[in-house]
Amino acid sequence: MPMAGTPRTPRSTWLGVLSTVALAALAAALPWLGVSSYLRTLVYYAAYYLALGQAWNLMSGLTGYVSFAHGALAGIGAYAAVIALNAGWPMAAALGAAVAVTGLASLVIGATSLRLHGTAFTFATLFFQELVLLVLRKLPFTGGPGGMVLQEILPVWLPYVMMMAVAAGATIAMALVRRSRVGVRVLAIKNDEAAAAAVGIDSTRLKLALFCASAGIAGLVGAVHGIFAASLYPDVLFSVDISLVALAVPLIGGVATVSGPLAGAILYVGLREVLQVIAPALHLTIVGLLLLAVVLFMREGIVVALARIVTRRRPRMTPAALGAGRGD
Amino acid sequence: MTVLRAEGLHKRFSGVIAVKDVDLSVAEGELLGLFGPNGAGKTTVFNLIAGAFYPDEGRIRLNDEDITRLPAFRRARLGIGRTFQVVRPFRTLSVLENVLATVPSDDATARHDAETAFELLSQVGLAERAHDPAGELTLGMLKRLEVARALALSPRLLLLDEPIAGLTTREAGELLKFIRSLKARTSVVMVEHNVRLALPICDRAVVMDAGMVIAEGAPAEIRVHPEVVRAYLGEAAE
Repeated sequence: MPMAGTPRTPRSTWLGVLSTVALAALAAALPWLGVSSYLRTLVYYAAYYLALGQAWNLMSGLTGYVSFAHGALAGIGAYAAVIALNAGWPMAAALGAAVAVTGLASLVIGATSLRLHGTAFTFATLFFQELVLLVLRKLPFTGGPGGMVLQEILPVWLPYVMMMAVAAGATIAMALVRRSRVGVRVLAIKNDEAAAAAVGIDSTRLKLALFCASAGIAGLVGAVHGIFAASLYPDVLFSVDISLVALAVPLIGGVATVSGPLAGAILYVGLREVLQVIAPALHLTIVGLLLLAVVLFMREGIVVALARIVTRRRPRMTPAALGAGRGD
Repeated sequence: MTVLRAEGLHKRFSGVIAVKDVDLSVAEGELLGLFGPNGAGKTTVFNLIAGAFYPDEGRIRLNDEDITRLPAFRRARLGIGRTFQVVRPFRTLSVLENVLATVPSDDATARHDAETAFELLSQVGLAERAHDPAGELTLGMLKRLEVARALALSPRLLLLDEPIAGLTTREAGELLKFIRSLKARTSVVMVEHNVRLALPICDRAVVMDAGMVIAEGAPAEIRVHPEVVRAYLGEAAE
Protein backbone atom coordinates (compact mmCIF):
# COMPACT_ATOMS: atom_id res chain seq x y z
CA MET A 1 0.00 0.00 0.00
CA PRO A 2 1.48 3.41 -0.91
CA MET A 3 1.98 5.62 2.10
CA ALA A 4 1.63 9.38 2.03
CA GLY A 5 4.47 11.40 3.45
CA THR A 6 6.76 8.46 4.06
CA PRO A 7 10.47 9.17 4.39
CA ARG A 8 11.08 7.07 1.29
CA THR A 9 10.74 9.12 -1.88
CA PRO A 10 7.90 7.64 -3.90
CA ARG A 11 8.14 6.75 -7.58
CA SER A 12 5.90 9.66 -8.61
CA THR A 13 8.43 12.10 -7.13
CA TRP A 14 11.29 10.56 -9.07
CA LEU A 15 9.19 10.67 -12.25
CA GLY A 16 8.50 14.32 -11.47
CA VAL A 17 12.22 14.97 -11.00
CA LEU A 18 13.06 13.27 -14.30
CA SER A 19 10.37 15.15 -16.22
CA THR A 20 11.53 18.45 -14.66
CA VAL A 21 15.11 17.76 -15.76
CA ALA A 22 13.92 16.77 -19.25
CA LEU A 23 11.76 19.90 -19.59
CA ALA A 24 14.59 22.13 -18.37
CA ALA A 25 17.04 20.46 -20.78
CA LEU A 26 14.63 21.00 -23.68
CA ALA A 27 14.12 24.63 -22.72
CA ALA A 28 17.88 25.11 -22.31
CA ALA A 29 18.45 23.71 -25.80
CA LEU A 30 16.11 26.24 -27.47
CA PRO A 31 18.92 28.67 -28.49
CA TRP A 32 20.38 25.87 -30.63
CA LEU A 33 17.05 24.71 -32.04
CA GLY A 34 16.34 27.79 -34.14
CA VAL A 35 13.66 29.17 -31.82
CA SER A 36 13.12 32.93 -32.10
CA SER A 37 14.75 35.19 -29.52
CA TYR A 38 11.28 36.53 -28.60
CA LEU A 39 10.05 33.07 -27.63
CA ARG A 40 13.31 32.36 -25.82
CA THR A 41 12.85 35.54 -23.81
CA LEU A 42 9.36 34.43 -22.82
CA VAL A 43 10.71 31.02 -21.79
CA TYR A 44 13.49 32.74 -19.84
CA TYR A 45 11.04 34.92 -17.92
CA ALA A 46 8.77 31.95 -17.24
CA ALA A 47 11.79 30.10 -15.79
CA TYR A 48 12.85 33.20 -13.83
CA TYR A 49 9.41 33.59 -12.25
CA LEU A 50 9.13 29.84 -11.71
CA ALA A 51 12.44 29.75 -9.83
CA LEU A 52 11.55 32.80 -7.77
CA GLY A 53 8.06 31.42 -7.15
CA GLN A 54 9.48 28.09 -5.99
CA ALA A 55 11.88 29.89 -3.64
CA TRP A 56 8.88 31.73 -2.14
CA ASN A 57 6.82 28.53 -2.12
CA LEU A 58 9.50 26.63 -0.22
CA MET A 59 9.24 29.06 2.68
CA SER A 60 5.94 30.91 2.55
CA GLY A 61 3.91 28.24 0.74
CA LEU A 62 4.85 25.51 3.18
CA THR A 63 4.90 27.51 6.43
CA GLY A 64 2.14 30.05 5.71
CA TYR A 65 4.48 32.91 6.67
CA VAL A 66 3.94 35.27 3.72
CA SER A 67 7.20 36.94 2.71
CA PHE A 68 7.50 40.19 0.79
CA ALA A 69 11.28 40.04 0.96
CA HIS A 70 11.97 37.62 -1.88
CA GLY A 71 12.32 40.37 -4.49
CA ALA A 72 14.87 42.10 -2.26
CA LEU A 73 16.71 38.82 -1.61
CA ALA A 74 16.95 38.23 -5.36
CA GLY A 75 18.20 41.82 -5.74
CA ILE A 76 20.91 41.24 -3.13
CA GLY A 77 21.96 38.12 -5.04
CA ALA A 78 22.16 40.11 -8.26
CA TYR A 79 24.37 42.78 -6.69
CA ALA A 80 26.59 40.22 -4.95
CA ALA A 81 27.18 38.26 -8.17
CA VAL A 82 27.86 41.31 -10.36
CA ILE A 83 30.21 42.88 -7.78
CA ALA A 84 32.08 39.56 -7.49
CA LEU A 85 32.32 39.12 -11.28
CA ASN A 86 33.49 42.71 -11.70
CA ALA A 87 36.18 41.97 -9.09
CA GLY A 88 37.42 39.15 -11.30
CA TRP A 89 35.93 36.22 -9.42
CA PRO A 90 35.12 33.10 -11.45
CA MET A 91 31.44 32.46 -12.25
CA ALA A 92 30.98 29.62 -9.73
CA ALA A 93 32.51 31.67 -6.93
CA ALA A 94 30.35 34.69 -7.84
CA LEU A 95 27.19 32.57 -7.73
CA GLY A 96 28.34 31.03 -4.46
CA ALA A 97 28.89 34.52 -3.04
CA ALA A 98 25.35 35.49 -4.08
CA VAL A 99 23.92 32.49 -2.24
CA ALA A 100 26.09 33.13 0.83
CA VAL A 101 25.24 36.84 1.05
CA THR A 102 21.49 36.28 0.67
CA GLY A 103 21.64 33.39 3.11
CA LEU A 104 23.34 35.69 5.62
CA ALA A 105 20.79 38.45 4.99
CA SER A 106 17.95 35.97 5.49
CA LEU A 107 19.51 34.84 8.75
CA VAL A 108 19.34 38.42 10.00
CA ILE A 109 15.76 38.97 8.79
CA GLY A 110 14.63 35.53 9.90
CA ALA A 111 16.14 35.69 13.38
CA THR A 112 14.42 39.01 14.00
CA SER A 113 11.10 38.54 12.24
CA LEU A 114 10.24 34.82 12.38
CA ARG A 115 9.06 35.15 15.98
CA LEU A 116 6.29 37.34 14.59
CA HIS A 117 3.12 35.81 13.18
CA GLY A 118 0.71 36.54 10.35
CA THR A 119 0.63 40.06 8.95
CA ALA A 120 3.28 41.23 11.45
CA PHE A 121 5.82 38.95 9.75
CA THR A 122 4.69 40.07 6.30
CA PHE A 123 5.10 43.74 7.20
CA ALA A 124 8.52 43.06 8.71
CA THR A 125 9.67 41.55 5.39
CA LEU A 126 8.15 44.48 3.47
CA PHE A 127 10.08 46.83 5.76
CA PHE A 128 13.25 44.86 5.00
CA GLN A 129 12.60 45.23 1.25
CA GLU A 130 12.41 49.03 1.58
CA LEU A 131 15.37 49.17 3.98
CA VAL A 132 17.64 47.31 1.56
CA LEU A 133 16.70 49.72 -1.22
CA LEU A 134 17.51 52.73 0.98
CA VAL A 135 20.86 51.26 2.06
CA LEU A 136 21.90 50.19 -1.45
CA ARG A 137 21.20 53.64 -2.83
CA LYS A 138 23.66 55.10 -0.32
CA LEU A 139 26.50 52.59 -0.64
CA PRO A 140 29.42 53.70 -2.83
CA PHE A 141 30.38 50.23 -4.10
CA THR A 142 26.86 49.51 -5.39
CA GLY A 143 26.85 52.53 -7.68
CA GLY A 144 24.27 54.41 -5.61
CA PRO A 145 20.93 55.33 -7.22
CA GLY A 146 22.47 55.02 -10.71
CA GLY A 147 23.16 51.31 -10.19
CA MET A 148 25.98 49.36 -11.77
CA VAL A 149 26.79 47.30 -14.86
CA LEU A 150 28.44 43.95 -15.44
CA GLN A 151 31.76 44.82 -16.99
CA GLU A 152 32.46 41.51 -18.66
CA ILE A 153 30.44 40.72 -21.79
CA LEU A 154 29.15 37.16 -21.50
CA PRO A 155 27.39 35.06 -24.15
CA VAL A 156 23.59 35.53 -23.99
CA TRP A 157 22.99 31.78 -23.80
CA LEU A 158 24.95 31.43 -20.56
CA PRO A 159 22.51 33.11 -18.12
CA TYR A 160 19.64 31.61 -20.15
CA VAL A 161 20.89 28.06 -19.63
CA MET A 162 21.78 28.80 -16.01
CA MET A 163 18.25 30.06 -15.32
CA MET A 164 16.75 26.83 -16.73
CA ALA A 165 19.03 24.84 -14.42
CA VAL A 166 18.14 27.02 -11.42
CA ALA A 167 14.39 26.76 -12.15
CA ALA A 168 14.68 22.96 -12.43
CA GLY A 169 16.79 22.78 -9.28
CA ALA A 170 14.33 24.93 -7.30
CA THR A 171 11.43 22.75 -8.46
CA ILE A 172 13.24 19.55 -7.53
CA ALA A 173 14.21 20.99 -4.14
CA MET A 174 10.58 21.88 -3.50
CA ALA A 175 9.43 18.37 -4.51
CA LEU A 176 11.95 16.63 -2.28
CA VAL A 177 11.24 18.85 0.71
CA ARG A 178 7.46 18.51 0.27
CA ARG A 179 7.71 14.73 0.15
CA SER A 180 10.09 14.49 3.11
CA ARG A 181 9.37 14.26 6.83
CA VAL A 182 10.61 17.87 7.04
CA GLY A 183 7.88 18.89 4.57
CA VAL A 184 5.21 17.17 6.67
CA ARG A 185 6.49 18.93 9.80
CA VAL A 186 6.55 22.31 8.10
CA LEU A 187 2.97 21.82 6.93
CA ALA A 188 2.12 20.87 10.51
CA ILE A 189 3.48 24.26 11.61
CA LYS A 190 1.30 25.91 8.95
CA ASN A 191 -1.73 24.05 10.34
CA ASP A 192 -1.19 24.78 14.03
CA GLU A 193 2.10 26.00 15.46
CA ALA A 194 1.22 25.27 19.11
CA ALA A 195 0.13 21.72 18.29
CA ALA A 196 3.33 21.29 16.25
CA ALA A 197 5.41 22.27 19.30
CA ALA A 198 3.44 19.72 21.35
CA VAL A 199 4.64 16.93 19.04
CA GLY A 200 8.27 18.01 19.33
CA ILE A 201 8.64 20.27 16.30
CA ASP A 202 11.08 23.14 16.83
CA SER A 203 9.17 25.56 14.65
CA THR A 204 11.52 28.55 15.05
CA ARG A 205 14.55 26.57 13.94
CA LEU A 206 12.72 24.83 11.11
CA LYS A 207 11.24 28.07 9.77
CA LEU A 208 14.62 29.78 9.96
CA ALA A 209 16.35 26.92 8.14
CA LEU A 210 13.70 26.95 5.45
CA PHE A 211 13.83 30.72 5.14
CA CYS A 212 17.64 30.59 4.67
CA ALA A 213 17.33 27.82 2.06
CA SER A 214 14.57 29.72 0.30
CA ALA A 215 16.63 32.94 0.41
CA GLY A 216 19.66 31.12 -0.97
CA ILE A 217 17.60 29.99 -3.96
CA ALA A 218 16.18 33.52 -4.39
CA GLY A 219 19.74 34.87 -4.25
CA LEU A 220 20.88 32.42 -6.92
CA VAL A 221 17.89 33.33 -9.10
CA GLY A 222 18.70 37.02 -8.63
CA ALA A 223 22.38 36.44 -9.43
CA VAL A 224 21.59 34.71 -12.72
CA HIS A 225 19.04 37.39 -13.59
CA GLY A 226 21.58 40.11 -12.74
CA ILE A 227 24.03 38.49 -15.18
CA PHE A 228 21.23 38.23 -17.78
CA ALA A 229 20.21 41.88 -17.33
CA ALA A 230 23.86 43.04 -16.99
CA SER A 231 22.63 46.44 -15.75
CA LEU A 232 21.42 46.74 -12.15
CA TYR A 233 19.18 49.65 -11.17
CA PRO A 234 18.18 49.59 -7.50
CA ASP A 235 14.73 51.10 -8.07
CA VAL A 236 13.92 48.36 -10.59
CA LEU A 237 15.61 45.47 -8.80
CA PHE A 238 14.11 46.30 -5.40
CA SER A 239 10.68 47.21 -6.68
CA VAL A 240 8.00 45.51 -4.65
CA ASP A 241 6.61 44.22 -7.98
CA ILE A 242 9.21 41.43 -8.01
CA SER A 243 8.18 40.26 -4.54
CA LEU A 244 4.57 40.37 -5.69
CA VAL A 245 5.33 38.17 -8.71
CA ALA A 246 7.22 35.71 -6.47
CA LEU A 247 4.02 35.46 -4.43
CA ALA A 248 1.54 35.60 -7.33
CA VAL A 249 3.04 32.70 -9.31
CA PRO A 250 2.45 30.03 -6.60
CA LEU A 251 -0.80 31.67 -5.59
CA ILE A 252 -2.19 31.35 -9.12
CA GLY A 253 -0.90 27.81 -9.69
CA GLY A 254 -1.20 26.36 -6.20
CA VAL A 255 0.51 27.30 -2.95
CA ALA A 256 2.59 24.52 -1.35
CA THR A 257 2.30 22.39 -4.49
CA VAL A 258 5.26 21.48 -6.69
CA SER A 259 3.64 21.90 -10.10
CA GLY A 260 1.55 24.96 -9.18
CA PRO A 261 4.31 27.56 -9.65
CA LEU A 262 5.10 26.12 -13.11
CA ALA A 263 1.48 26.60 -14.20
CA GLY A 264 1.42 30.00 -12.49
CA ALA A 265 4.62 31.19 -14.19
CA ILE A 266 3.53 30.09 -17.67
CA LEU A 267 0.08 31.63 -17.18
CA TYR A 268 1.49 34.85 -15.77
CA VAL A 269 4.05 35.35 -18.57
CA GLY A 270 1.62 34.31 -21.30
CA LEU A 271 -1.18 36.50 -20.03
CA ARG A 272 1.12 39.47 -19.53
CA GLU A 273 2.36 39.21 -23.12
CA VAL A 274 -1.11 38.88 -24.62
CA LEU A 275 -2.48 41.74 -22.52
CA GLN A 276 0.47 43.99 -23.32
CA VAL A 277 -0.51 43.65 -26.98
CA ILE A 278 -4.30 43.86 -26.77
CA ALA A 279 -4.74 46.02 -23.65
CA PRO A 280 -1.39 47.61 -22.72
CA ALA A 281 -2.97 50.12 -20.33
CA LEU A 282 -4.94 47.47 -18.50
CA HIS A 283 -2.62 44.51 -18.33
CA LEU A 284 -1.58 45.00 -14.71
CA THR A 285 -5.19 45.54 -13.68
CA ILE A 286 -6.29 42.34 -15.40
CA VAL A 287 -3.45 40.34 -13.86
CA GLY A 288 -4.51 41.75 -10.48
CA LEU A 289 -8.10 40.73 -11.14
CA LEU A 290 -6.97 37.22 -12.10
CA LEU A 291 -5.11 36.97 -8.83
CA LEU A 292 -8.18 38.15 -6.95
CA ALA A 293 -10.36 35.62 -8.77
CA VAL A 294 -7.99 32.77 -7.91
CA VAL A 295 -7.88 33.83 -4.26
CA LEU A 296 -11.67 34.09 -4.09
CA PHE A 297 -12.78 31.11 -6.15
CA MET A 298 -9.81 28.71 -6.34
CA ARG A 299 -8.06 29.16 -3.03
CA GLU A 300 -5.87 26.11 -3.56
CA GLY A 301 -4.78 27.33 -7.01
CA ILE A 302 -5.46 26.31 -10.57
CA VAL A 303 -3.53 23.02 -10.51
CA VAL A 304 -5.44 21.65 -7.52
CA ALA A 305 -8.77 22.96 -8.87
CA LEU A 306 -8.14 21.25 -12.23
CA ALA A 307 -7.07 18.03 -10.52
CA ARG A 308 -10.33 18.04 -8.59
CA ILE A 309 -12.31 18.46 -11.81
CA VAL A 310 -10.37 15.67 -13.52
CA THR A 311 -10.77 13.22 -10.65
CA ARG A 312 -14.40 14.43 -10.07
CA ARG A 313 -14.16 13.66 -6.41
CA ARG A 314 -12.53 15.06 -3.33
CA PRO A 315 -8.93 13.99 -3.11
CA ARG A 316 -8.06 11.28 -0.63
CA MET A 317 -4.79 13.07 -0.12
CA THR A 318 -4.03 16.54 1.10
CA PRO A 319 -4.16 19.37 -1.49
CA ALA A 320 -0.41 19.80 -1.25
CA ALA A 321 0.27 16.16 -1.88
CA LEU A 322 -2.25 16.14 -4.70
CA GLY A 323 -0.42 18.96 -6.43
CA ALA A 324 2.90 17.30 -5.81
CA GLY A 325 1.88 13.86 -6.84
CA ARG A 326 -0.03 14.51 -10.00
CA GLY A 327 1.41 16.23 -12.99
CA ASP A 328 4.67 17.24 -11.42
CA MET B 1 9.72 5.81 40.64
CA THR B 2 8.33 9.33 40.22
CA VAL B 3 8.10 10.40 36.58
CA LEU B 4 6.74 13.90 37.13
CA ARG B 5 7.05 16.12 40.16
CA ALA B 6 5.58 19.63 40.14
CA GLU B 7 6.09 21.73 43.25
CA GLY B 8 4.52 25.02 44.27
CA LEU B 9 3.13 25.86 40.82
CA HIS B 10 1.72 29.34 40.68
CA LYS B 11 0.31 31.10 37.62
CA ARG B 12 -1.66 34.30 37.24
CA PHE B 13 -3.13 35.94 34.13
CA SER B 14 -3.66 39.72 34.28
CA GLY B 15 -4.06 39.64 38.02
CA VAL B 16 -6.36 36.60 38.08
CA ILE B 17 -4.84 33.66 39.93
CA ALA B 18 -5.32 30.58 37.73
CA VAL B 19 -3.13 28.16 39.70
CA LYS B 20 -1.96 28.57 43.29
CA ASP B 21 0.59 26.42 45.15
CA VAL B 22 -0.17 23.25 43.25
CA ASP B 23 1.94 20.18 43.98
CA LEU B 24 1.55 17.18 41.74
CA SER B 25 3.46 13.95 41.33
CA VAL B 26 2.95 11.05 38.95
CA ALA B 27 4.52 7.64 39.44
CA GLU B 28 5.74 5.37 36.68
CA GLY B 29 2.83 3.47 35.11
CA GLU B 30 0.28 5.45 37.10
CA LEU B 31 -3.00 6.77 35.72
CA LEU B 32 -3.78 10.00 37.55
CA GLY B 33 -7.15 11.73 37.18
CA LEU B 34 -7.29 15.51 37.51
CA PHE B 35 -10.83 16.66 38.26
CA GLY B 36 -12.62 19.86 39.14
CA PRO B 37 -15.27 22.26 37.87
CA ASN B 38 -14.82 24.77 35.03
CA GLY B 39 -12.17 27.34 35.86
CA ALA B 40 -10.58 25.11 38.50
CA GLY B 41 -7.19 25.45 36.79
CA LYS B 42 -6.85 21.90 35.46
CA THR B 43 -5.97 22.86 31.89
CA THR B 44 -3.63 25.59 33.15
CA VAL B 45 -1.75 22.92 35.12
CA PHE B 46 -1.63 20.83 31.92
CA ASN B 47 -0.26 23.76 29.96
CA LEU B 48 2.37 24.45 32.62
CA ILE B 49 3.51 20.82 32.52
CA ALA B 50 3.47 20.67 28.71
CA GLY B 51 5.29 24.01 28.39
CA ALA B 52 2.60 26.02 26.61
CA PHE B 53 3.56 28.70 29.14
CA TYR B 54 5.85 28.97 32.15
CA PRO B 55 4.84 29.14 35.82
CA ASP B 56 5.33 32.40 37.73
CA GLU B 57 6.62 30.32 40.64
CA GLY B 58 7.37 26.67 41.28
CA ARG B 59 9.37 23.93 39.63
CA ILE B 60 8.58 21.03 37.34
CA ARG B 61 10.81 17.99 37.11
CA LEU B 62 10.55 15.13 34.66
CA ASN B 63 12.53 12.09 35.80
CA ASP B 64 14.52 14.39 38.10
CA GLU B 65 15.39 16.73 35.24
CA ASP B 66 14.28 20.33 35.77
CA ILE B 67 12.10 21.25 32.80
CA THR B 68 10.50 24.40 34.29
CA ARG B 69 11.94 26.74 31.64
CA LEU B 70 12.11 24.37 28.70
CA PRO B 71 9.97 25.21 25.64
CA ALA B 72 7.10 22.92 24.67
CA PHE B 73 8.94 21.18 21.83
CA ARG B 74 11.86 20.27 24.11
CA ARG B 75 9.47 18.81 26.69
CA ALA B 76 7.79 16.78 23.94
CA ARG B 77 11.17 15.42 22.91
CA LEU B 78 11.91 14.57 26.54
CA GLY B 79 8.76 12.47 26.54
CA ILE B 80 5.73 14.58 27.44
CA GLY B 81 2.91 13.85 25.00
CA ARG B 82 -0.39 15.69 25.18
CA THR B 83 -3.84 16.04 23.67
CA PHE B 84 -5.93 19.20 23.68
CA GLN B 85 -9.26 20.11 25.27
CA VAL B 86 -10.43 21.41 21.88
CA VAL B 87 -8.92 19.03 19.31
CA ARG B 88 -6.06 20.48 17.30
CA PRO B 89 -5.27 18.08 14.44
CA PHE B 90 -3.19 19.13 11.43
CA ARG B 91 -6.35 19.31 9.34
CA THR B 92 -4.83 19.59 5.85
CA LEU B 93 -2.46 16.69 6.45
CA SER B 94 -3.56 13.11 6.09
CA VAL B 95 -4.27 11.06 9.22
CA LEU B 96 -1.01 9.17 8.67
CA GLU B 97 0.95 12.39 8.15
CA ASN B 98 -0.41 13.69 11.47
CA VAL B 99 1.39 10.83 13.19
CA LEU B 100 4.48 11.03 10.97
CA ALA B 101 4.90 14.74 11.79
CA THR B 102 5.86 13.95 15.40
CA VAL B 103 9.47 13.96 16.57
CA PRO B 104 10.01 10.88 18.77
CA SER B 105 11.34 11.52 22.25
CA ASP B 106 15.10 11.49 22.71
CA ASP B 107 15.17 8.06 24.31
CA ALA B 108 12.84 6.33 21.83
CA THR B 109 14.52 3.08 20.92
CA ALA B 110 13.24 3.06 17.35
CA ARG B 111 12.71 6.05 15.08
CA HIS B 112 9.16 5.71 13.91
CA ASP B 113 8.37 5.20 10.26
CA ALA B 114 5.17 4.75 8.27
CA GLU B 115 4.75 1.18 9.47
CA THR B 116 4.92 2.05 13.15
CA ALA B 117 2.63 5.03 12.49
CA PHE B 118 0.16 2.61 10.89
CA GLU B 119 0.45 0.36 13.92
CA LEU B 120 -0.42 3.27 16.22
CA LEU B 121 -3.39 4.17 14.01
CA SER B 122 -4.52 0.53 14.14
CA GLN B 123 -4.43 0.65 17.94
CA VAL B 124 -6.83 3.61 17.97
CA GLY B 125 -8.95 2.16 15.15
CA LEU B 126 -7.98 4.66 12.47
CA ALA B 127 -5.87 2.58 10.09
CA GLU B 128 -8.69 2.51 7.54
CA ARG B 129 -8.69 6.31 7.43
CA ALA B 130 -4.88 6.69 7.23
CA HIS B 131 -4.87 8.44 3.86
CA ASP B 132 -7.85 10.72 4.44
CA PRO B 133 -7.31 14.38 5.32
CA ALA B 134 -7.59 14.70 9.10
CA GLY B 135 -10.11 17.50 8.61
CA GLU B 136 -12.62 14.91 7.37
CA LEU B 137 -12.69 12.92 10.62
CA THR B 138 -15.45 13.05 13.22
CA LEU B 139 -14.78 14.46 16.70
CA GLY B 140 -14.45 10.98 18.18
CA MET B 141 -11.91 10.01 15.53
CA LEU B 142 -9.97 13.25 16.03
CA LYS B 143 -9.74 12.56 19.77
CA ARG B 144 -8.29 9.14 18.99
CA LEU B 145 -5.95 10.65 16.38
CA GLU B 146 -4.59 13.05 18.99
CA VAL B 147 -3.90 10.11 21.31
CA ALA B 148 -2.09 8.25 18.49
CA ARG B 149 -0.11 11.40 17.68
CA ALA B 150 0.95 11.80 21.31
CA LEU B 151 1.87 8.10 21.55
CA ALA B 152 4.11 8.50 18.49
CA LEU B 153 6.44 10.50 20.73
CA SER B 154 7.05 7.32 22.79
CA PRO B 155 6.08 9.40 25.83
CA ARG B 156 7.12 8.87 29.44
CA LEU B 157 4.13 10.96 30.44
CA LEU B 158 0.87 11.33 28.54
CA LEU B 159 -1.39 14.29 29.28
CA LEU B 160 -4.97 13.77 28.12
CA ASP B 161 -7.17 16.86 28.28
CA GLU B 162 -10.84 15.82 28.41
CA PRO B 163 -10.37 12.85 26.07
CA ILE B 164 -14.00 11.73 26.18
CA ALA B 165 -15.71 15.13 26.01
CA GLY B 166 -18.25 15.17 23.18
CA LEU B 167 -18.08 11.42 22.57
CA THR B 168 -21.01 9.02 22.69
CA THR B 169 -21.18 6.71 25.72
CA ARG B 170 -19.99 3.80 23.60
CA GLU B 171 -17.09 5.79 22.11
CA ALA B 172 -16.16 7.10 25.56
CA GLY B 173 -16.18 3.60 27.04
CA GLU B 174 -13.93 2.25 24.29
CA LEU B 175 -11.49 5.14 24.59
CA LEU B 176 -11.30 4.87 28.39
CA LYS B 177 -10.61 1.15 28.08
CA PHE B 178 -7.78 1.98 25.66
CA ILE B 179 -6.43 4.69 27.98
CA ARG B 180 -6.41 2.20 30.84
CA SER B 181 -4.34 -0.17 28.69
CA LEU B 182 -1.72 2.56 28.15
CA LYS B 183 -0.52 2.22 31.74
CA ALA B 184 1.72 -0.61 30.61
CA ARG B 185 3.81 1.73 28.47
CA THR B 186 3.53 5.22 29.97
CA SER B 187 2.29 7.27 32.89
CA VAL B 188 -0.95 9.09 32.21
CA VAL B 189 -2.53 12.26 33.61
CA MET B 190 -6.12 12.72 32.49
CA VAL B 191 -8.27 15.80 32.95
CA GLU B 192 -11.93 14.89 32.66
CA HIS B 193 -15.29 16.45 33.41
CA ASN B 194 -17.16 13.17 33.35
CA VAL B 195 -16.16 11.98 36.81
CA ARG B 196 -18.62 9.11 36.80
CA LEU B 197 -17.00 7.47 33.76
CA ALA B 198 -13.40 8.54 34.26
CA LEU B 199 -12.80 8.12 38.01
CA PRO B 200 -13.13 4.31 38.10
CA ILE B 201 -10.24 3.76 35.70
CA CYS B 202 -7.83 6.02 37.65
CA ASP B 203 -5.25 4.74 40.11
CA ARG B 204 -5.34 8.03 41.95
CA ALA B 205 -7.23 11.30 41.64
CA VAL B 206 -6.51 14.96 42.36
CA VAL B 207 -9.38 17.42 42.65
CA MET B 208 -8.88 21.16 42.12
CA ASP B 209 -10.99 24.23 42.71
CA ALA B 210 -10.19 27.91 42.23
CA GLY B 211 -6.64 27.04 41.21
CA MET B 212 -5.87 24.96 44.30
CA VAL B 213 -5.74 21.24 45.08
CA ILE B 214 -8.55 20.45 47.53
CA ALA B 215 -8.38 16.65 47.62
CA GLU B 216 -6.07 13.83 46.60
CA GLY B 217 -6.29 10.07 46.97
CA ALA B 218 -7.58 6.78 45.60
CA PRO B 219 -10.90 6.88 43.68
CA ALA B 220 -12.72 5.27 46.61
CA GLU B 221 -11.45 7.99 48.95
CA ILE B 222 -12.29 10.77 46.51
CA ARG B 223 -15.86 9.52 46.13
CA VAL B 224 -16.50 10.03 49.85
CA HIS B 225 -14.24 13.00 50.48
CA PRO B 226 -16.54 15.54 52.14
CA GLU B 227 -15.05 18.57 50.36
CA VAL B 228 -15.28 16.93 46.96
CA VAL B 229 -18.74 15.53 47.45
CA ARG B 230 -20.07 18.82 48.74
CA ALA B 231 -18.45 21.12 46.24
CA TYR B 232 -17.74 19.23 43.02
CA LEU B 233 -18.99 15.76 42.54
CA GLY B 234 -22.38 15.99 44.12
CA GLU B 235 -24.73 13.48 42.60
CA ALA B 236 -22.10 12.40 40.07
CA ALA B 237 -20.20 10.66 42.83
CA GLU B 238 -23.12 8.56 43.80
